[in-house]
Amino acid sequence: MTDPTLIRNFSIIAHIDHGKSTLADRMLELTNTIADRDMMEQVLDSMDIERERGITIKAQAVRVYFEASDSQTYQLNLIDTPGHVDFTYEVSRSLAACEGVLLVVDATQGVEAQTVANAQLAMNAHLEIVPLINKIDLPAADPERVRHEIEEGLAIPADEAVLTSGKTGLGVREALEAVVKHVPHPVGDPDAPLKALIFDSYFDAYRGVVALIRIVDGHVRKGMKVRMLATQTVTDVEEVGVRRPANLPVDELGVGEVGYLITGLKDPSLVKVGDTVTLAKHGTEDPLPGYREVKPMVYTGLFPIDGDQYPELRDALDKLQLNDPALIYDPESSHALGFGFRVGFLGLLHMEVVKERLEREFDLDLLATAPSVEYHIFRTNGTSEFIHSPQDMPDPGTIDHIEEPYLKVTVLVPPDYVGPVMELAEGHRASFKDMQYLSKTTVEMHYEMPLSELIMDYFDQLKSRTKGYASMDYEYIGYRTSELVKLDVLLATKIVDALSFIVHKDKAYARGKVLTEKLREIIPRQMFEVPIQAAIGGRIIARETVKAKRKDVLAKCYGGDITRKRKLLEKQKKGKKRMKNVGNIEVPQEAFMAILKVDE
Amino acid sequence: MRLPAHLYVHVPLCRSKCAYCDFYSLPLSSATEGTTAVANSLAAQALAWLDRDVAPRPLRSVYIGGGTPSVLGADLARLVEVLTSSFPLEPDVEVTIEANPESLDRNLVEALARAGVTRVSLGAQSLDDTVLAFLERPHDAAAVRAAARAVHEAGLALSLDLICGIPGQTAQSWIDTVNGAINLGPEHVSVYPLSIEAGTPLAAAVAIGDVQEPDPDVAADMMLLAQHVLGQAGLERYEVANYARRGAESRHNTAYWTGMPYLGVGPGAHGMLDVETAAAVGFVSARTPGVARLRYAVACDLSAGLTPMPRVDTESLSRVEAAREDVMLGLRLVRGVHEEDIVAAGVASVIDGLAEDGLVELVDHRWRTTERGWLLGNEVFGAVWAGE
Repeated sequence: MTDPTLIRNFSIIAHIDHGKSTLADRMLELTNTIADRDMMEQVLDSMDIERERGITIKAQAVRVYFEASDSQTYQLNLIDTPGHVDFTYEVSRSLAACEGVLLVVDATQGVEAQTVANAQLAMNAHLEIVPLINKIDLPAADPERVRHEIEEGLAIPADEAVLTSGKTGLGVREALEAVVKHVPHPVGDPDAPLKALIFDSYFDAYRGVVALIRIVDGHVRKGMKVRMLATQTVTDVEEVGVRRPANLPVDELGVGEVGYLITGLKDPSLVKVGDTVTLAKHGTEDPLPGYREVKPMVYTGLFPIDGDQYPELRDALDKLQLNDPALIYDPESSHALGFGFRVGFLGLLHMEVVKERLEREFDLDLLATAPSVEYHIFRTNGTSEFIHSPQDMPDPGTIDHIEEPYLKVTVLVPPDYVGPVMELAEGHRASFKDMQYLSKTTVEMHYEMPLSELIMDYFDQLKSRTKGYASMDYEYIGYRTSELVKLDVLLATKIVDALSFIVHKDKAYARGKVLTEKLREIIPRQMFEVPIQAAIGGRIIARETVKAKRKDVLAKCYGGDITRKRKLLEKQKKGKKRMKNVGNIEVPQEAFMAILKVDE
Repeated sequence: MRLPAHLYVHVPLCRSKCAYCDFYSLPLSSATEGTTAVANSLAAQALAWLDRDVAPRPLRSVYIGGGTPSVLGADLARLVEVLTSSFPLEPDVEVTIEANPESLDRNLVEALARAGVTRVSLGAQSLDDTVLAFLERPHDAAAVRAAARAVHEAGLALSLDLICGIPGQTAQSWIDTVNGAINLGPEHVSVYPLSIEAGTPLAAAVAIGDVQEPDPDVAADMMLLAQHVLGQAGLERYEVANYARRGAESRHNTAYWTGMPYLGVGPGAHGMLDVETAAAVGFVSARTPGVARLRYAVACDLSAGLTPMPRVDTESLSRVEAAREDVMLGLRLVRGVHEEDIVAAGVASVIDGLAEDGLVELVDHRWRTTERGWLLGNEVFGAVWAGE
């Protein structure tokens, strides 16, 4: 085992697009961890979607050896974390495996919302923060301003901030030197029973669940029997090793080291992020702090467009869940859409990523209903229940009150756009809390708002109203009472359950009206007139009509080109097949998401 | 096994391209071949059919379309003469040429009549100069009237093409056009609702919002109005878009709707052959099982499509497909399709479904479209072709 004083465990944290993954690539190159010929962009992001979108979804841990200017060779464990607020808990666990972070700030963009949020996470975890100003090769780079923002806005001394360019490799050695110099080495008791933190896990089809761990006390080696404290699962250690970034088995992982542990378990739900691994016998009974069950925050119905694909959808969800225990799902049936699943996600990005992977990796055509949150319903008879689908809303007469999840939202924006942010907030039931100038160019605003409003297109609107300048972050602050009603949508006088949604009483009329107008534009004309109605508890509050189609005929004839006429008919037919038949009405997929775009 | 009794020749030239047109044709200014060369090549390609190992059948119809055949001028008359003197003809053969008002004068009409033309299909489109300008037609309403008079004076049958549902076209403009057309004394009128075709200047104008997409309801009203007014003038609708005095229905177009084989000659032309003929001329292998009908298209390429034996794209239809296609096309005709043919094509349940929606009706053992089914033809044709 390595002397802990020669180990540094650190993470790189940044706002999205500030160059975190490219910087990590350069570090792997500089330390000869990856041969040039194997180098590709965003090495640590193994999913296609991660590379395409430039985001990190799964945590990664890679060990590199770095010969510092003191001629000592250090073992550096770089833990790459997801950068998105959906994965805040995962990020916090990854950070718990470190003693320090490199806080990357784009030299042209400056401090943004996730910079602040991530820096706060690191501070809460009592980590050493090493600021790093990246992209200094760009003409618009203004390191002095950014240095000032880091000091003023984050209260982090930045006079020694490392200037880097992930693109050219400039300053990467200095960044690693700073890690060695400033990040404390791990401290633990090698003679105590094993105590290790699981900061991520993944499923290997051949070897079962693989946990990424950080040893706090003791050591772990192949053949030991270990126990996970939260789930009380006992298993043999089939292999331990380190990631470089391919798996490299080692004899043992000791105090302060980071690596993987192959359990051979086939059920990923037994290995939970944040749990503590100890010895099966005579282990510690004192878990590491910070563990919690991850809970989905956003729910949506996923239905196969072709009802026959239901079993395939189930199989696909089963497979995805192996590597994504945060994904939960239960069968759901809809009169309108048939059989599908109610799927819970950590947030909107998580939802998008899962849907995209289901469609892409499993070749499914899916229809998603508008996302909703988990409501807490308190009945007049004293009982209460959580619901995460508008369909499960009980009879209003039996409801005493309803609570919904609330967020504290932080928006960072240039002063010129404070007005638009305030206006947008008003439309989303957000209450303004406070605001402060981080610098001359950046204002930090705080709101409290319901999660259900945030998922109503809030982020896209925020971006467009501030010309892309605003950045946002949020944290959950608990459930609060709201006056909520279920709004139903009727097509041809029949309620389409998949279009129902839960909305604040004061917003119901406006949203119902805009939604029916929107649906009138989206639903193509059919063979018959289709009335579209919005209703609350049987009372119609808005109505639009899709007129019956009267004319649709290919009249002209091009010199007997019958083939072309047929092809056009076939194309038309295909277009219809992509729509969902609700009763006998053809409804395009986007209709089920229309509620998200009804910013009045 | 004989060659088809119907011949289509495509003249891929126009004086200029109209804003809405996506048919294969080139403006004269950019054509690499002169009109004489084009006419000669078309004639050679048509005559090449007579050199193949299949006996000709006397032609019942010849249709020279385009493009704008009349831009060939005197070469068009020579082309017709070659065709009518080389192919065996039925005694009452129908010989139609398409013409545009700007390129059809008295001399040309007389030369065409002498060459054997019996019928002129005149691309009038509108009698409103504003509308004609919008469509970027190279003629005005006065030219339409003059050309129509010339056709009559030469003793030829006249058919007029009209377009409705044009952006900016008022109801009054349309009524005036239909009435004005009737006053020109045509035996036959075609009424097409404007469709915005991808790749045309009009589609581009719609895409950028310069032109509003035609309102289909307005077009439907105009189609209904035309049917009413033309019917009162003795021009009864016999197909989706076609109206005629009794006995003056286009024999050539009717062949398309009734599953008759036809030859197609010229770049962008289409033809249809029964499987035996197609095999004899090498368009399909004689041993390909399950093929009942072959459709082919001559390359849309001025030089490649003008060779005597040009490259063709083919499409084979099975017996079942051919039967469904016959029903689909037959329902374009007002007289519809005999119920036995519906059953034989295996689409009886489809037809029942369409009847429930009020799109087709059974009259004297023939299924035909209702007025609603006429205007919603794609629902009818699409369902029949899909067989569901």
